[in-house]
Amino acid sequence: MAAREPSRYLTRALPRATVPSIRPQGFLSRRNVSDEAPARRLSDHLTELESASSLSTAVPNSAAASFDPLARAAARKNQLPRGRYQFRSPKYNRGPLHPHQPPPPSHPASRLFVPGPFSAPRAEQTFDSTVSADIMTLCYVHTPPGFKPPPKAARLREWDDSSPYHKNRVLRGPRGGDVLRLLRKPIKFNNIPELERITIHSYVKNAAAERNSSWLHVAGIAVQAISNVRVETFKSKSNVAPWGIAANRDSVAVKAELYGENMYHFFGKLVDVVLPRIKDWDGVKGSSGDSSGNITFGLVPENVALFPELEINYDMYPPKMIPGCHITLHTTAKTDKDARLLLSAMGIPFYGKIVN
Amino acid sequence: MSMHTSLRRTAATITNSTTTILPTRLPTQSSGTTFVCSQCRHATLLRRPKRPYTFTQLITLSDGSTFTHRTTSPAPIYRSTRDTRNSLLWNPSSSKLMNVEEDEAGRLAAFRARFGRSFDANTPAAAEEAAKDPAAAKQAEADAKAQAKADQEEEDNLLDLISAFGQNEAPPPPEKKTPKFTGKK
Repeated sequence: MAAREPSRYLTRALPRATVPSIRPQGFLSRRNVSDEAPARRLSDHLTELESASSLSTAVPNSAAASFDPLARAAARKNQLPRGRYQFRSPKYNRGPLHPHQPPPPSHPASRLFVPGPFSAPRAEQTFDSTVSADIMTLCYVHTPPGFKPPPKAARLREWDDSSPYHKNRVLRGPRGGDVLRLLRKPIKFNNIPELERITIHSYVKNAAAERNSSWLHVAGIAVQAISNVRVETFKSKSNVAPWGIAANRDSVAVKAELYGENMYHFFGKLVDVVLPRIKDWDGVKGSSGDSSGNITFGLVPENVALFPELEINYDMYPPKMIPGCHITLHTTAKTDKDARLLLSAMGIPFYGKIVN
Repeated sequence: MSMHTSLRRTAATITNSTTTILPTRLPTQSSGTTFVCSQCRHATLLRRPKRPYTFTQLITLSDGSTFTHRTTSPAPIYRSTRDTRNSLLWNPSSSKLMNVEEDEAGRLAAFRARFGRSFDANTPAAAEEAAKDPAAAKQAEADAKAQAKADQEEEDNLLDLISAFGQNEAPPPPEKKTPKFTGKK
């Protein structure tokens, strides 16, 4: 014990890098007798290296004089093959430190580039020309000059300091539930609610039946046909015994996400052609919505078959396999009330009790 | 010699400590960026996005208005028979759409062709129009009753009305059907 005491003080006094390791030294520092053999002695290898550098030699003047790329290009009879002058994005993303980086997806040379938009959809033009101004007018709330809104209480409650353990504790959520609703700001010219995206989702309950994947294929192709977008499939997260669906094993659902041009084309088609042809349809239920501006409604298979894309070659689809679907209209509105105002102005009827 | 290994060890502990200090940063990393800047050994394939081929289609609504859209359907023109222009849900105040009588088999039309329209001759036209409106229905009904009473008081007026009605509104009933009508009456 006494013999170790000075060494402890010594380690504190020395800089960190020179502290001896507790672990046994690795074989990197091990020296063997065979290293001193003449075949492996380092000093012998050093003598074999050349002393003169190639960088010190002078460039001949003839090489510099003959370098004239413009004249060479002009003298060329045929155009270079495309691979010689066109940039091609790398096929793989090899990480941020790789010298060969793919261009951003907005670049036309990128492999992820999607061109467009190519047209101005009718629904979008209607929104821009009439609906947006109407909504801004309808949502206008006049406040006289000098008006100050009364201060609102904080959304997250603080702890009363009745206990010393309340110090630095995170704030409590609102009363009556932990869900913080979206904040609705007054609607001005720069936050008029508009259509953000449309999700078409279809859960195919027969997808796992009798080991037959054709239900899912038909559903995927039907949703792709009506939406102009390649669908994505999803596996079930839960077991459904009557339908023979096992979690994480069976692909049971298809989904298409529509943005921008595709979205407005689909919306116009849905409102102008498909929904009026549904028999005995009252509209979208007034209580639908997730209370943050997204409205969902469903179409049964007979209604999905009314889309012009499915009608034009109806024989291609097995009639019993045409899927129903849920259509979610995502808007930038913060409340369902604003979203319903927007959607009813764009042509979707609502019925029943209107729930905000 | 020992210096080399100890340096390595400290470097390893530093990276470990950063990962333990900032555990919340790690799940939020996107696939492209890593918090600890290290060489990414795997390569991810950049798949070209697949888009179905689309055509431009002209949609003709039932009132003749047209617009184009992009669709997977190869038909150049789509003519709709039922759309927002002629469905009641989108035109709740249209009297033309509300008064559509359900006569798919044509039986009402056949009845009219055979017997004319004299069975509702006493009903004024205004009451017929406003019959659907629930607010004005009762008022119109009362008016119709008073009108019908006044009409019945004039006996000869009814005969005039019957004889004059077919020439004004409905096409004249065929000659062979007319004796049947009078005979039954």
